[in-house]
Amino acid sequence: MAPGEDDPGFPGPDSVRPAIGEDTVSRRRFIKWVLGFSVTSIAAMVITPIVSFLVPAKQETTGAGARVLAGTTTDIPSGTGKVVAMGSSPVIVINTDSTPSGVKAYSAVCTHLGCIVGYDSTTRVIVCPCHDGHFNPANGAVISGPPPAPLKTIDVAVEKDQIFLVRG
Amino acid sequence: MAAAGRAEGTGSRVGDFFETRLRIGPLLSALVHVRIPIEARPYYLGGITLFLFGVQVVTGTLLALYYQPTPDAAYDSVKYITSVVEFGWLIRSVHHWGANLMIICVVLHLLRVFAHGAYKFPREFIWIAGAGLLLATIGFGFTGYLLPWDQRAFWATTVGTEIAGSVPVIGDGLLGLLRGGADVTAATLSRFFGMHVLVLPLGLGALLLAHLVIVHQLGLANPKRPEPRPGTFGASATAAPEKLRPFWPDYVLDEVIAWAVMLAILVILASVFPAGLEDKADPLITPQHVKPEWYFLSVYQLLKLVPRIVGIMAPIVAIGALVFLPFLDRNPAVTPRKRPIAILVALAAIAVMVGLTVWGQYS
Repeated sequence: MAPGEDDPGFPGPDSVRPAIGEDTVSRRRFIKWVLGFSVTSIAAMVITPIVSFLVPAKQETTGAGARVLAGTTTDIPSGTGKVVAMGSSPVIVINTDSTPSGVKAYSAVCTHLGCIVGYDSTTRVIVCPCHDGHFNPANGAVISGPPPAPLKTIDVAVEKDQIFLVRG
Repeated sequence: MAAAGRAEGTGSRVGDFFETRLRIGPLLSALVHVRIPIEARPYYLGGITLFLFGVQVVTGTLLALYYQPTPDAAYDSVKYITSVVEFGWLIRSVHHWGANLMIICVVLHLLRVFAHGAYKFPREFIWIAGAGLLLATIGFGFTGYLLPWDQRAFWATTVGTEIAGSVPVIGDGLLGLLRGGADVTAATLSRFFGMHVLVLPLGLGALLLAHLVIVHQLGLANPKRPEPRPGTFGASATAAPEKLRPFWPDYVLDEVIAWAVMLAILVILASVFPAGLEDKADPLITPQHVKPEWYFLSVYQLLKLVPRIVGIMAPIVAIGALVFLPFLDRNPAVTPRKRPIAILVALAAIAVMVGLTVWGQYS
């Protein structure tokens, strides 16, 4: 008998050999299914914890509305900018003029490929040193270069000479 | 018969001692007693790359004995290796130059195989394994680059992983897997160290084994004779017999001489241009005009010129085309004169990459 799907495989006694027909499953096919199911289950059992292990755990972020002292207007005088840390996020604070509304803050992470932007006080623009992206210090909009989006705005509160960043 | 002779006796008492216990003679004979076409000109590039990989394994293992993969300690441990450990500067610089030369040799080897049409039937899988080896080598460069934890390392990794994170659909997941979180942190350094010293060596070793086994089974391609596909009539069916030379000891001796020359070049480069170290990584300051290693400069420059999605997808498509080249190029001819389109496309691709690299360097 040529080997095939309907080959009953192991030649057991006729009394225990199952009848072969359209609605029956041969012993060989049944064992293939069982083995296939077992191998798939074991593979899933091994792969699931490995993949889950590799996915980083989500980190807790501090609550919205919290205020972080970024510095004073003496540290960041008019026409200058400074990158400060708000938790683990770098933020660029720019004092565009001497008024409280002239103090602006944006996420310092360039929207192109994640470098930290800086403020060029000569040309009065925000510059990314990696791929020459330029942003407007007044609103964070892209002036030139490859960045696909404006810098994310961070709320600022100026009280006397102290500059606070407000978490969004 | 050589194999039977080795099994029965090696001619020396020491040889016999081992042979009677290991019975490895026939296997070694089968591995080295092969003949290669005289017209095949591999320029020893594959063997030199293998040698450089060996150098990287030895120097990398030595460096790992002192290196500490945490942000607080990594930079100082590299400084310690360089300035305090005896010959530490040499071991580190040889590792640095070995990596650069390995990439150059892999690329030259690839170009040689392309020029000789040696990726065509029946050698498609040798090429695919070889392309995998190129990617693994670049992966070594990318993961090893972060380990000194200096400014250049940190920002090259930030941009590199951000590029991976910008790939459509899988980008976010890929970024998290690579960095071990949202930003480049201690988790990233641990992952890159693990990939550099465990995952990639095992992966490269497996690919290398596959590459060499298939090369051994199929033999070197003759750049002047296409091998006709089954059912077709090729020129070699009626041509005169191939002129062959022994792999052992003729070719191996030449290869060992090339390795000695390469070792001398490595030591000279490491001594004259030792590996440097910039300021310690500062996640709040991206230095002015920061640039990646030379082999990523073309992508760096491309990303300056075109929209981000184009700059990211173009190299991915190019890598895909490179890996599956044997199945894209259906022309059975192997001599360059009979493959004008493939040669012109390759020359154009090389010109674009070299042009972008030079532009990126001087921009």
